[in-house]
Order: sequence, then C-alpha cells, then structure tokens
Amino acid sequence: MVTIPFIWIMGDLLWNGWDQLSFSFVFSAPQNAGREGGIGPILISTLLIVGVCMGTAVPMGLGTALFLSEYTRHDHVLGRLIRGSLDVLAGVPSIVFGLFGNALFCQILGLGFSILSGGLTLACMVLPILIRTVEESFHAISQEQRLSAAALGLSKTTTIRRILLPAALPGLLVGIILGLGRAVAETAALIFTSGYVARMPESLMDSGRSLAVHIYDLAMNVAGGNPHAYATALVLVGLVFIINVSSSWIASRWTSCNRLSA
Amino acid sequence: MPFSTFFFFTLRVFLVGPLLWAWAWEYPSARAEGERLIITGSSTMAPLVSEIGKRFETLHPKVRVDVQTGGSSRGIADTVNGLADIGMASRALKSQEQHLNGSVIAHDGITIILHTSNPVQELTDDQIRSIYTGSSTNWSHVGGPDSGITVVNKAEGRSTLELFLDYFHLSNRDIHAHVVIGDNEQGIKTVAGNPNAIGYVSIGTAQYDAAHGIGIRLLALQHIPATLETVREGRFPLSRPLTLVTKSPPAGLVKTFIDFAQSPQVHDLILQQYFVPLQG
Repeated sequence: MVTIPFIWIMGDLLWNGWDQLSFSFVFSAPQNAGREGGIGPILISTLLIVGVCMGTAVPMGLGTALFLSEYTRHDHVLGRLIRGSLDVLAGVPSIVFGLFGNALFCQILGLGFSILSGGLTLACMVLPILIRTVEESFHAISQEQRLSAAALGLSKTTTIRRILLPAALPGLLVGIILGLGRAVAETAALIFTSGYVARMPESLMDSGRSLAVHIYDLAMNVAGGNPHAYATALVLVGLVFIINVSSSWIASRWTSCNRLSA
Repeated sequence: MPFSTFFFFTLRVFLVGPLLWAWAWEYPSARAEGERLIITGSSTMAPLVSEIGKRFETLHPKVRVDVQTGGSSRGIADTVNGLADIGMASRALKSQEQHLNGSVIAHDGITIILHTSNPVQELTDDQIRSIYTGSSTNWSHVGGPDSGITVVNKAEGRSTLELFLDYFHLSNRDIHAHVVIGDNEQGIKTVAGNPNAIGYVSIGTAQYDAAHGIGIRLLALQHIPATLETVREGRFPLSRPLTLVTKSPPAGLVKTFIDFAQSPQVHDLILQQYFVPLQG
C-alpha cells in the first residue's frame, strides 16, 4: 500500500519527463521563461543554497546538540527552554520562515535577494530537526561509555571527539539527510529570500532560483511550462536519490572503518 | 583514527567544497563598476520581464537585471520603500498611487473560463455577478444543466482579482467562492478538472491552453470575443495594462530599461509570453 504513491509519482514523472531529459537540458540555461533550454544555472543555485544551508546548520546543530546532551542536565531550565522552542520551530510552516528570512537576512542584514539569504533561511528551518535527531543519538549512547572514558582519565574534549561523536554519527547522517530533503524541496521559504533570478550565479550575493521554485513557476505561472516542469522534477528526485544513496554509502563505509579500527 | 579522518574529509568535500568553489568563482568575475537593477512585483509579469532583462543584459554586459515575484501590491510597496528600482504591477495605478510613475509595456485581458463540456455559451455581466455573489448556485439558473456551480476565485492581493472585482463592481467579501487559486495555470487546471467550475484567468494563457487541448472554453463578454486581438484593439472590456512602476520619473539606467521594454525590440518576447504588445 505504501509503495503505491511512490510508484505512481515516479511513473508519472518518468512518463512525462523522461523525453525532455538530456545532457544539454541539465547543463544549459533556460530560454523563453523555462519552456525551452535547460536548468543549468538553477541546478548550480540549488547546490549552492543547500551548501550554504548545510555548511551553517551542521556545525551549529552539532554544537547545540552537544550542549544540550553533554553540558546541561536533562531537566535544566535552559535546556528545556531550548528544546521547547526547537519543537515549536520544527512545526512552523515554511512560508513563515520565508517571511522571517526576507525580513532578517534580506532587509535588516542587507543581504538582499541572494543565495546566502536563502541558504541561511533554510538553515534556520533545518536546524530544529537536525538538533533533535543528533541529540537523540547522543542520548542513545549508554552512560557506561562516558563513565569508562572518565575512569580512563580522558578529558571531556577527547571523550566527545573519540567516543561520542563516532557513536552518534549515524544519527547525525540521518539528521543531515532529513534536513537536506526538506531544504532541497523547499519553495515557500526560498521565493522571498533567494529569489527568482534564473541567471548563472556569479557569487553567493547573487539571487538564484532553486529547482523547486522553478518547478512551481513552470507548473503554476508559465503557460506551456508543464513538460519542463516534469523534467525538472525528475532531476530534483534524482538529486535527492543521489544524496540519500551517497549518505548511506558514507555511513556504511564509516561503520566498517569503525569496526576495523576498534 | 581512519574513520573520523574519512568522515571529516567527506564532510569537507560535501559541505565546505561548494562554498570555497563559490568564493573562488566570485573572484575573477567581480564587477567593480557593474550596475544592478532590482525589479519586483506581479507574478504575471515576472516571466516576461525576466526575458526582457535577459535581452537587456546582452546589450549592456555590465548591467544585471534581477527580477523577483510576489504580486503587484508587493511590487508597489517595494518601489515605495526603495527595496526595488522598478515595480511590476499588472494593473493601472490606483488613484492613491498617482504620485508614482507608471509606464505601460503591454496589455493583458481577463477572460471567464468554463469546462469544455459545459453547454453554456455566453453569460451576461449580471449573470456572472449573481454566480460569484452566490445568488445563482446551479447552472440551470443561467441556461445550463441541472448541476451545482463551483466558483473559482483568485487569492487576495492578486491583480486579476482586483481587476475582476472592479469590473463587476463587487467587493471580495461579497464573493462566495468554493476554490481560491493563485496563479493563472492553477486556475486553468482547476476549471479543466471540474465540469461545473467557472473561473477567470489571463486571456493569453487561457487562449494558449485552450488551443493546446486543455479542456476549457473562453466566454465572450458583452458579445465581444475574448481574444488577444480584441484586447489589442482596446475593445475587450476586461483588460489591464502591464505597468512598470518607479518612485520618481525614470532617469539613467532605469529610464534606459523602461524605454527598452516599451520599444518594438521586445515585441517578440511579449508575444512569446501570450501578452499584447503596445502597438501593431
């Protein structure tokens, strides 16, 4: 039952989009409002936005999760405050993040419509999921491991680097995959932050259209844009697929290395 | 520890790599004297103005034209706040906006659309008004089959909605809508998927989709057929100008761009997006 929607969606995308898909479609610039040409600049913008998002969210997320699980007691007021606000943030609709990002990054901080604004807005959106996932995986590590490390006289930093981080890595990867999935599929938060410009980005301060915004525009705003909307959707699904497969490959590779060295 | 080395290496490649790459990329192409035009507003106009901007960039290689969407009201607001150099409004300026400068670059008409299987051939303005205010709820009231009417309305802030309300002397609170839609294509898909629906969208988009086998029919208004020709001739009653808005009288680069957008050099682009150029 669960696979029916998946097969249906993939079948629909392949049926309508496969003919349009070609090497030149993926790498050339869009023409005539996206009805002709390709999605090259849009693909690059998307990768840059997601890169900025993850480059910001992963270090911050990891740090916050460490702070919550290792440096505060579980019932501490500050910890509870942070957890509570994260849970609320995780449920906020993405358009709200879009308006927030537009106000804070584009206007108050003066970044304008740019890939940087878009990536940072997405980072705010992805952080709650990331932090909670990583924190859970830190909690899953048994207390004995921490105590053994302390008994061996390891410093807190060494314990975190050598014992806790490796053990929590699968959780971190799951968090990254979930966050990436949410980031790469985002439309509402990006249309008001990274914007609508389909030109090849020349810097992070340029406005850049993401794949999801392009699909939305082609399907809902451009007459005759449907074929290319399907093809773009196919590329987006392919991208998510590649990200997922490579993450799990890294995870399995990493776990096997772990076993060898242990 | 090999695994952590491996992990942090992958982390670096996947996350930090694109960033470094982007900065490296920025360096050689930094434009010291480059100028940037920021244009925001109507989602109807955004694809057209993007294409005009692209052609403008090829003629002025140092200029970058950034087009953002969000609706006409937003375009006007951004222009007033100074966030945008030029606003896009797919309607004429209102009386309280007369301190702004508007330059018309093309025209667009709004047409009432029905599903192709609907036998109703023409509706009077009064009949349309009674359908949208909820006094007529069944197609048999207006000479159709005995089935309920699905009223498709545009979302608040869309200039198509404002133009529609203005023409029929309605306020949005009077309208009893079953479906509220955003963009034109969404409206067309909604009506094409429901034999009892009535909606209104841009003529250019509707004409294109109807000609390409989408199941919608365009209704004449006051016996004037809804075509691009009647809009261009100024005969079709429900039409609107696509306007570029500036805070002060256009000067410098802004003026060059608006002059370019009004020139015959972009008529092919306007026709490509199914709008009506200024003349001929």
